[in-house]
Amino acid sequence: MHTIQQQYWAVREYLSPVLKESKFKEHGRITPEEFVAAGDFLAYKFPVWTWEKGDASKARDYLPADKQYLLTRGVPCLRRASTLEYTEDAERMLSFADPKEGGAAGKEEEWVETHAGRAGGEAGANPGTIDDIPDVDDGEAEVTAGMGGLSVGGSKEPAEIPDMDEIPDMEEDLEDGEDEATAAPNSKLVAPSDGVLDASEVEVAKGNLLQVRTYDVMITYDKYYQTPRIWLIGYDENGTPLTPSQIFQDVSADHAFKTVTIEAFPHSTSLQAASVHPCKHASVMKKVIERMNQGVIEEQQAAKKGSSKDAKPKKWLFRRTSGNGKDDKAAAAAAGEEEVEGMRVDFYLVVFLKFIASIVPTIEVDSTTSF
Amino acid sequence: MTIVQFAPFQSLVQPAFWHALTELKIDVLRLSDDEQPVTATYTAGRAVKDRETGQEIALGCNLTVSGDAFSKTPQVPQNAVAATGVFKNFNTIEDFKNADKTALFNQVADEIWKSITVDKSTALLNRFLVITYADLKKYKYFYWFAFPAFAAKPAWEIDGEWLAAENALGAETLSSVQSQLHASPRPFFLVRTIENQTTIAPVEEYDIFYANVPPEHRVIGFVDPSALPTNPGWPLRNLLAYLLALHPETAQGVRILCWRDVEPPVAGSSGGWKSRFGMLKQSGAGAATATDRPSAVGWEKNIQGKLGARVADLAPMMDPTRLADQAV
Repeated sequence: MHTIQQQYWAVREYLSPVLKESKFKEHGRITPEEFVAAGDFLAYKFPVWTWEKGDASKARDYLPADKQYLLTRGVPCLRRASTLEYTEDAERMLSFADPKEGGAAGKEEEWVETHAGRAGGEAGANPGTIDDIPDVDDGEAEVTAGMGGLSVGGSKEPAEIPDMDEIPDMEEDLEDGEDEATAAPNSKLVAPSDGVLDASEVEVAKGNLLQVRTYDVMITYDKYYQTPRIWLIGYDENGTPLTPSQIFQDVSADHAFKTVTIEAFPHSTSLQAASVHPCKHASVMKKVIERMNQGVIEEQQAAKKGSSKDAKPKKWLFRRTSGNGKDDKAAAAAAGEEEVEGMRVDFYLVVFLKFIASIVPTIEVDSTTSF
Repeated sequence: MTIVQFAPFQSLVQPAFWHALTELKIDVLRLSDDEQPVTATYTAGRAVKDRETGQEIALGCNLTVSGDAFSKTPQVPQNAVAATGVFKNFNTIEDFKNADKTALFNQVADEIWKSITVDKSTALLNRFLVITYADLKKYKYFYWFAFPAFAAKPAWEIDGEWLAAENALGAETLSSVQSQLHASPRPFFLVRTIENQTTIAPVEEYDIFYANVPPEHRVIGFVDPSALPTNPGWPLRNLLAYLLALHPETAQGVRILCWRDVEPPVAGSSGGWKSRFGMLKQSGAGAATATDRPSAVGWEKNIQGKLGARVADLAPMMDPTRLADQAV
């Protein structure tokens, strides 16, 4: 059944036309060219992201051969989303949709700040409107119907840990005695003062609270939905690949049962990966972009008036935006009468990652905040 | 003085590697259990800050094997360096269990030693061994890595403490090293600063590069996969063995730079340069310039911390029936 569904999706994607004209501000969708432009920007600003070729037989002809998808390896994930009381934060992060509430700047600030894995400082400051959480099951009946019954960690998944009986008993005496120069995990004399813990030790030290997993994160372009799509492959602290139910522990509760599924990774012949289904990406991105655009335009207008020096941009996005738009701004200041451009499509993936960070709150996909 | 303890490599096998192995096994190897060349990569060690406790957490000292490990032209990710190894797949679990692992291990160690003493090259210092048994029907892969490293006798000790490299060498030197290393990544390198000009060179050019440089200005660097403040990563062990064999005077003292900065630190972010610096020496080093191969260690421990094989169970991600269950 699942196979048929996947075939259907593959055919549907094959038949759907390539989006030609730019619509990212109107619909939140982007063209392949814009995906490449935004990807270039992401990879340039944040070198942890690189373009990948993927399997040659699976290459999409509407994307450059050497820029099929974006990849970053070893993204840390310190805690399980399921152990965090995270739903409220997630809601708050997506609460920018109500236009009559608050000034744009204030809202944006909150949105950027209330961010993955961070202890909510201003908890309760904003109750938030939850109408616009992207996974509500209006419309897209086929998808929700298809996934509604998904049960995580249920009885169908008994073998969460590999069956120890089947590991050949192979402890062998290959090395004579302990090697004094090998840093054994339990002999790591990590003084608390220097504050660095070894990942394999953390679990013991913290009573199971912290299990450092790492993820390989891929961003592909989904031709049918005309949005980027995120893919995850996870490893536990020993480097063992995670099972689907383990991956779902890192997805916020609102999404784990509905929008995240295990599917064939489109740029490999056989690889399966967890993916956030993109059916709602466009509408969410549209809202985010509208919001940000407003802020960016205000910023640019302010810059025009020459008041930008006093009104110091507080938040990362403003700073980035104005930083990148330096040329525009300089030109605008010089010419005085240039058109206000608003947010550029280059930022699409940066914004997209912030949105994804709300779905997988403990996976630090959003490395952009460190800047 | 304290004995230097090295953080061992930890194997990180991407699922794509098992897919590649499945294809290789079915289409190419079939029943052959001949050795195959394989490529892995590692990057400088990373630590992440836990936002809730503010503590730095060192991520594993990983050696990553990915889907193109068997390809002749593997793609090395940006900022990573490659290591080559020997791969051997067994047809049955019994063969896997009964294999003469000591012989396989010694064979790789001999190769490394030969490359040091005969070829005088650093190319094989990170050579590793991986043996596998693939249960293709059950999507289970048994594997065991070994990263042979020569045990120094007497052991290397650290003169003083491991320091932040920024304090010892200065930020300018580091940023110069960073830009040169970024342009041509290499796992091991020499650093010298003459008249504020910092240059790096391959370790093979030791004699020429350091011809007029006094020992106290010589710095030998390596890309350090460890992020622990007082434990340099595994690659340093064989680098030290190389230095000791070819440049015995280093036993009296060698200045080591553990390179951990993939990118220059961002202004405003916490931390700064993460590389470490230390002065190592062998105390009581006699005429230890034996030409015999030193004994080597380096089998990877399994999850239980014992010397033993690991298993990757990919059934949840590969078995069509299990996936179908998931997708109902």
